[in-house]
Amino acid sequence: MLQRLLIEKMEHRIIVGILSFLGIMVLVGWIAINENGRMKAFQDQYLARSIERGAALFNTNCASCHGNDGRGLLGIAPALNSPYLFGHSFLADIDRRIDTLTRERDAAATTDERKAEIDALIADLNSERNSRIAQMQPAISAGYNPERPSRLANLGWSGTLNSYIYTTLVHGRPVSGLYWPQGMAAWSQTAGGPLRGDQLEDLTNYILNWDKGNNWTIDDLNAVVQHPINPVNPATIVMASVETVGTNVAEIEAELVSYTGDPVNGQALYNGAAFACMGCHMNAAVAPLTQNTYPNLLNGTRLSDPALAGYTADRYLIESIVAPNAYVVPGYPAGVMPQNFGDRLTYQDLADMLAYIKSYDDPGAQASASAG
Amino acid sequence: MSVLPFPSFLDDIKEKGFKRALYEGVNEVVERATAGMNIQDIREALRGEAASRKPNPRLQPHADGFWLHMRPSYFHKSVTGIYPEFRLGWLSTYFVFFETITGIFLMIFYTPSPTYAYANMLNIMSNVPLGQFMRDLHRLGAEAMVLIVTLHMLRTFFTGSYKKPRQFTWFTGVVLLFCTMFLSFSGYLLPWDQLALWAVTIGASMIEAAPPEVVGTNLNLLLRGGPEIGANGLLRFYLLHVLAVPALLFIFTGVHYYKVVIHGHSLPPKEENIGEDTAKRVPLDKRVYFIPDIMTSEIMWIGVTTLILVILVTWFYHAPLENHADPQITPLGTTAPWYFLWIQGALKLGDKVLWGIIFPTVYLGFLALLPYLDTTPSRRWAHRRSIFTIILLLISATVVLSYMGLAEFGVINTADVDILHHMTMEPAHNHIGLLRPIPYNQLTPGMYTTRQFKAEPGDEIGMIGAFNAELEQPLGAPIRVGNATVRTPEEFIVNYMETQQHLHLPVGLNFVPLPSDAAELNRVMKKFYEEIEAAHHELRNGWGGLIITDDQNGLKRLDIFIFWHEVEMERGFPVLNANGESIPVLDENGNPVLRVSSHRMYIHQDSQYFNAPGA
Repeated sequence: MLQRLLIEKMEHRIIVGILSFLGIMVLVGWIAINENGRMKAFQDQYLARSIERGAALFNTNCASCHGNDGRGLLGIAPALNSPYLFGHSFLADIDRRIDTLTRERDAAATTDERKAEIDALIADLNSERNSRIAQMQPAISAGYNPERPSRLANLGWSGTLNSYIYTTLVHGRPVSGLYWPQGMAAWSQTAGGPLRGDQLEDLTNYILNWDKGNNWTIDDLNAVVQHPINPVNPATIVMASVETVGTNVAEIEAELVSYTGDPVNGQALYNGAAFACMGCHMNAAVAPLTQNTYPNLLNGTRLSDPALAGYTADRYLIESIVAPNAYVVPGYPAGVMPQNFGDRLTYQDLADMLAYIKSYDDPGAQASASAG
Repeated sequence: MSVLPFPSFLDDIKEKGFKRALYEGVNEVVERATAGMNIQDIREALRGEAASRKPNPRLQPHADGFWLHMRPSYFHKSVTGIYPEFRLGWLSTYFVFFETITGIFLMIFYTPSPTYAYANMLNIMSNVPLGQFMRDLHRLGAEAMVLIVTLHMLRTFFTGSYKKPRQFTWFTGVVLLFCTMFLSFSGYLLPWDQLALWAVTIGASMIEAAPPEVVGTNLNLLLRGGPEIGANGLLRFYLLHVLAVPALLFIFTGVHYYKVVIHGHSLPPKEENIGEDTAKRVPLDKRVYFIPDIMTSEIMWIGVTTLILVILVTWFYHAPLENHADPQITPLGTTAPWYFLWIQGALKLGDKVLWGIIFPTVYLGFLALLPYLDTTPSRRWAHRRSIFTIILLLISATVVLSYMGLAEFGVINTADVDILHHMTMEPAHNHIGLLRPIPYNQLTPGMYTTRQFKAEPGDEIGMIGAFNAELEQPLGAPIRVGNATVRTPEEFIVNYMETQQHLHLPVGLNFVPLPSDAAELNRVMKKFYEEIEAAHHELRNGWGGLIITDDQNGLKRLDIFIFWHEVEMERGFPVLNANGESIPVLDENGNPVLRVSSHRMYIHQDSQYFNAPGA
């Protein structure tokens, strides 16, 4: 039996052969019609696993500057887990409705009655708009501009968000004299860094996975620790009217007499996201240290500089905050510190902050502020 | 007179009528195309009838045609069945063509560059219709081909068919086996994934051991194109894979088959007298003609074999694709391809030159020269006891060495590394970390511990509450860890997770019972517990923890760790005292040295990890 053709009859061979070829065709056809689904599934699965790898890479390489949760670290690196990066506007829907209503009102055919109705609607919408802006106040104080909510648009980036992230990863970011004392390394091997192209893609996929589409909330925005600072014109921001201190040092000094500073609140402001003083003044390479400098001021070490002749300690502190370029500590470049604190601080804020800085003079007060 | 100004088919129609003229025209074309068989001859052949005209038209294609001139016109009846050939030589040839065809398809979508190769794989998998199908077929065919060619060699040995006059046929066969293995091996590298890089790195590093040093170093540089396998190395392997070795393979296939035809297929040993070779003298009544019997049989087998392969890749086999190649990360448990495991096993015996170069060379050299060394005339088993002994020993040695080549053999990792690897490993070599296939919705954020399984059923909450309290008990003396001072086991672990894994645990450790509706999570944690218990000598007082946190939308972070008291180790094993217990290592204050080892991984809801078969 073993020494004969396995299938001895010609007809049987022909039938088996034909059935085999038919079977192959059926199976290949069956695979072929399922290919679109399979390819889609592979793509989804690959993207998911790419995000997993990206998460591990982010945790190892990026979290130390951008934060574990991607919300940025003060003065170090901006948030990626932020509606700003993804260009989500919290005002767009209201603005669209106002636009539509305004067009209707300006149309010739609109009756006066309808116009009055529209004006009332627009007023409602505006107050809703103002209330949303008020909710965003912590972010606005930190440099976010709700009127210009898209990072890419503000940069004039013409590519996709994906290419923006990928390119930034490849080449890193230079030190920016105005905003970023510390640069970002070039991460791509093609640019001298440690990571391969596929790893940068994994990272990009992970960062893009923070997008919440239309589900971003103002809480997400306010949770951002550090915004990418771009030239902001505070005049464009419609804010609830708050009296800020301005930049006239003599006037401020006179006015402050009637305020009592709270060092605990001052410390919160000093370390908080809004002003982020701590982000720079913790690192002597970036900015003069403030720790224990107030006694120096009083003892005249700093104030003995001839350029500061006639300054009181208070005056020096106020000027350093609202007009930082008026006097720059030797060894540090001018123009690093934001110039707009005068437009953002209220008298109470400033008084609190001064109280906190002065508390360095009094170890007891300092300790209680820390405990608070 | 012609219809047209020159003689044409129309004249035939005019003369014989359309039907007859057409039939004769077609008949003539068929006869020319088949180099001798007209329609009637083919019909008779397929009906299994004898040829009705002489000389036998079925011999004509062998005499006059190109394709069949290389096939014998008839075979001995005794070699057409399963025994003695098992169709292995035919199958080997089949795979040569099968691999060529599927390989050409894949070549269309492939660029031999580390920058693009892996992306090309992803493209083949996600964007080329039937791309995965072709890749699976090519890979499966490659593995099968190594197996089939090896079996073919074994068969030839057992039937003694390598003996005079077929010594050189055997020699070319060994060359073909070598080509096949190298083709399969060089193909490993091309996808540029982790499997590729490390399997080939292991293989290529053997070449480096070739003595003297100047030869080994330069051979290695030539093959890899640099000290590490990179762009040059990939291009070289690619050219070897698609050009050089296939060229060699085709040439030797030609020589091998030519030798088979001129010597005839050797008959089963018992049909011949000792020392006789009657393969070329086939009596008339023993002849099985190529046309029609062998030919239809072969076409049928092409269909059947291809169908089997297609069925396998449809339901049972997918070519592996691991993560992108990364020279920085050596996966735990890297092995050479299975057909080189015996060399990897031999390397574990000691000297790289002796076991990595000399031994395989002697081995393959012995195989190649076998017919010139074993010149006894008899092909009967009873007369070949000594060579059978040698070969069977060699086969056994190969099997044992292959087993020794496995990652499980002789490579000692610490227990914590092994367990964590077992829990989290990326899919590779048909294994996958136990945590990965847990359904996404069972990964409820929280902190879980294996201590739960020490509780009496129903008392998990009490047990875990007590355990949480236990972790807050002060250590014998505070320990300095880096910049921090830790006072409790909890602080020790929290500090470790913060500094080593960037995991912030603001409220410290607070274990909770596993969710009772998460069956898979419970099963895996139970397994984790059992593995730690199984290694209780080394992981003294050991317990495991799993911290699940939300990371992003649809993405969870899993931190798995093992905590234990360090014990004295010797050569990778814990030292046991007279009571059979391991001996703890104590610090200067006489307290046990605490150890924690952890691994973090992320799981996305669409990752679709599934249990490895048999897991």
